[in-house]
Amino acid sequence: RPFYVEPRNIVDEDTQERVSAEASVMNSRMQYYSRLTGSSDRLLIPPDHVIPAPEEIYVYSPLGMAFKIHGNADGSGQNPSIITIFAIWNTMMGTSILSIPWGIKQAGFTFGVIIVILMGILTLYCCLRVLKSRAAIPFIDTSSWEFPDVCKYYFGSFGQWSSLVFSMVSLVGAMIVYWVLMSNFLFNTGKFIYNYVHHVNVTDTDVGTNGTDRVICPFPNTEHPANHSADLYMTYGNNTEDVFDQWWHKTKTVPLYLIILLLPLLNFKSASFFARFTFLGTVSVAYLIILVTLKAARLGFHLEFHWFHSTDFFVPEFRSLFPQLTGVLTLAFFIHNCVITLLKNNKNQENNVRDLSVAYLLVGLTYLYVGILIFAVFPSPPLSKDCIEPNFLDNFPSSDILVFIARGCLLFQLSTVYPLLGYLVRVQLMGQIFGKPYPSVFHVMTLNLIIVGAGVLMARFYPNIGSIIRYSGATCGLAYVFVFPSVIHMISLHRSGQLRWPSVVFHSFLIVLGIANLIGQFLM
Amino acid sequence: MRSIIFANYIARDTRRLGATIKARLISVYVFIEKCLRLSCLNHSVSLICVFDVEHSHVRFLGNLVLNLWDCGGQDTFMENYFTSQRDNIFRNVEVLIYVFDVESRELEKDMHYYQSCLEAILQNSPDAKVFCLVHKMDLVQEDQRDLIFKEREDDLKRLSRPLECTCFRTSIWDETLYKAWSSIVYQLIPNVQQLETNLRNFAQIIEADEVLLFERATFLVISHYQCKEQRDAHRFEKISNIIKQFKLSCSKLAASFQSMEVRNSNFAAFIDVFTSNTYVMVIMSDPSIPSAATLINIRNARKHFEKLERVDGPKHSLHMRMR
Repeated sequence: RPFYVEPRNIVDEDTQERVSAEASVMNSRMQYYSRLTGSSDRLLIPPDHVIPAPEEIYVYSPLGMAFKIHGNADGSGQNPSIITIFAIWNTMMGTSILSIPWGIKQAGFTFGVIIVILMGILTLYCCLRVLKSRAAIPFIDTSSWEFPDVCKYYFGSFGQWSSLVFSMVSLVGAMIVYWVLMSNFLFNTGKFIYNYVHHVNVTDTDVGTNGTDRVICPFPNTEHPANHSADLYMTYGNNTEDVFDQWWHKTKTVPLYLIILLLPLLNFKSASFFARFTFLGTVSVAYLIILVTLKAARLGFHLEFHWFHSTDFFVPEFRSLFPQLTGVLTLAFFIHNCVITLLKNNKNQENNVRDLSVAYLLVGLTYLYVGILIFAVFPSPPLSKDCIEPNFLDNFPSSDILVFIARGCLLFQLSTVYPLLGYLVRVQLMGQIFGKPYPSVFHVMTLNLIIVGAGVLMARFYPNIGSIIRYSGATCGLAYVFVFPSVIHMISLHRSGQLRWPSVVFHSFLIVLGIANLIGQFLM
Repeated sequence: MRSIIFANYIARDTRRLGATIKARLISVYVFIEKCLRLSCLNHSVSLICVFDVEHSHVRFLGNLVLNLWDCGGQDTFMENYFTSQRDNIFRNVEVLIYVFDVESRELEKDMHYYQSCLEAILQNSPDAKVFCLVHKMDLVQEDQRDLIFKEREDDLKRLSRPLECTCFRTSIWDETLYKAWSSIVYQLIPNVQQLETNLRNFAQIIEADEVLLFERATFLVISHYQCKEQRDAHRFEKISNIIKQFKLSCSKLAASFQSMEVRNSNFAAFIDVFTSNTYVMVIMSDPSIPSAATLINIRNARKHFEKLERVDGPKHSLHMRMR
């Protein structure tokens, strides 16, 4: 089996060593043994079982799926296009789909659809820039590089550390969103089971439609959800007459119960066990699409177009809150940190651009389908469109059985992706700072406690996943989607002397868009 | 036969290449025979020409002669050899190193030969130290390695009574072979504790980061001193491999390696002859100290350590046999 260790620079104190101690001493041994035998003598050639296994490679997309890549020994891919397209769709698709209807509502229906299409094209272009950035580096063998390595090449250690920081923002943001969602789903699942077992006929105190397909509005008096959601979440669950309601509270107690389940899982040294469950993500998304279609069939369409002013039940088509949608979409279309690895396994590398574009098209269509349908069928005469929650499953009561199944599936899927994300955070952070992915139990435990603590605090005090998604999306997207690909492209063109002013103007405009996206999150 | 630990003697044995090694079980007998300055060298020469039993010898630890025997699988010759040359082989032996192949299907026979060797040792050199290496451990599944080794170790200890044997599990594909030989060498050095104390004092006086003492032939680390934690736990083996490769290159030019200085902005390393049996490697992390100062220090220390070594004269021979 081929085995190669890159030569180590002993002059610089390089904290990020890609070669494990085992591999480096085996390399030393092999070099020595090869001197002892003749070149044609196969006596002292190491057998396969002593060669250290190749490092585990995981790809992840924040709020999407994370899974293990089965690396190929010679590095060439053997996946046909359709598998690659599916892998990209699978990685990008995840829990951000739950926030798309809310995002479209925040931007206005028509404007929202336009923004989804535009953001899709924009992020696709930036993704293509990321893909091509590696190939544009001359003289160096970049076949094992990912985008953070490219950043390090162009920007030195600033690039390395900034790409780590932004990657952490996206990962930790995703983990916090997962915690909030898991508390939500666990709460609703528990409530459903409790009501089912005790045959409690719940007369929901929430405002909602009547009938079998009930849709509720958990916070009916919201004028500006972004400002008031914190207070309103605090007042939820005021009727503490039932002991169960006291001990099973969405924000006060359930997030703590999750700690018992998930904190041990985070301390596993290897995450390959969890990578086996990635098929659950596909199943969950497929089920969500079916669920949306069924609800649409039963509820019917309720659309009215009011262009610039809001009415009692409808929102204008063009709203000034649209940056919230762009923030969410930056994270929904995010795959820039692993697109190189995903496309490396494509059989026909010349089709990479085409395959990536098709994948983005499919992802965009899925988001549009779910977003438009939920928005359109939201029963507007009794309820206002403003009631659409950042997690659209919240608009269905906990007694809804179809939604219960969806929540259960997603709960299980999220709890398998959560340790995988934790593993990625640990490997990247510890690897960069301490040089090895598992320095000691105390380091890892401290890191896990910080992450879990952040998740619990958010779930307790600010469980608005729409806001968490848009802030972390805009921050992480600023670096990975807008700034780094554009700047790297301009630098590489400049170095090869091909930089023309239209390109400079266009890419600078992209950078300005990225910054505006981030600022818009705080202003709107 | 090839010796990974004793790289020096490979060139001489290239004539004996062939299927003899890999095809059959590794059964190599190694004798270390401490030569009494004059007589034993003749003694060991007479044993070289034997039918189908590969043999070579190397000088080791200064006044020791190591006899390597590869007796793989040829039972009839083995039997003949044992009976006819027994006393010659086993007299004046100080150490017996017996190598077992863990994959061997004929455990009974292996144990039988081992016991014959032990009998001969008891008769001729009852003070000899006995070491057993359970070799080729990489062919065993990782989760079973400890179990199988423990089993073999218990068997061997039981069979070795009244002699005490020390067992190691080894494989050429990990650090275990180097560590096993280093332990053996450590036990063969006469006043090794005193050597270590002196080494520590030496290192502290010259303000070195790390000082290593190598055996001259094999570059096995006899003793070392480090003033702070080092990152790479495998550095001894790596250095040994590098120097042995360098020595092989030197020998092709009919030159012999004597000393080396490696220096850059972060450190300076000196490898130099120390005593008649050893090499020293000194690592200084303060590059402002001039090389000349460190070299003078090493030269002065050399006299002191030579005196230490001469305290313990030659006792009797060492025989090592590997099967």
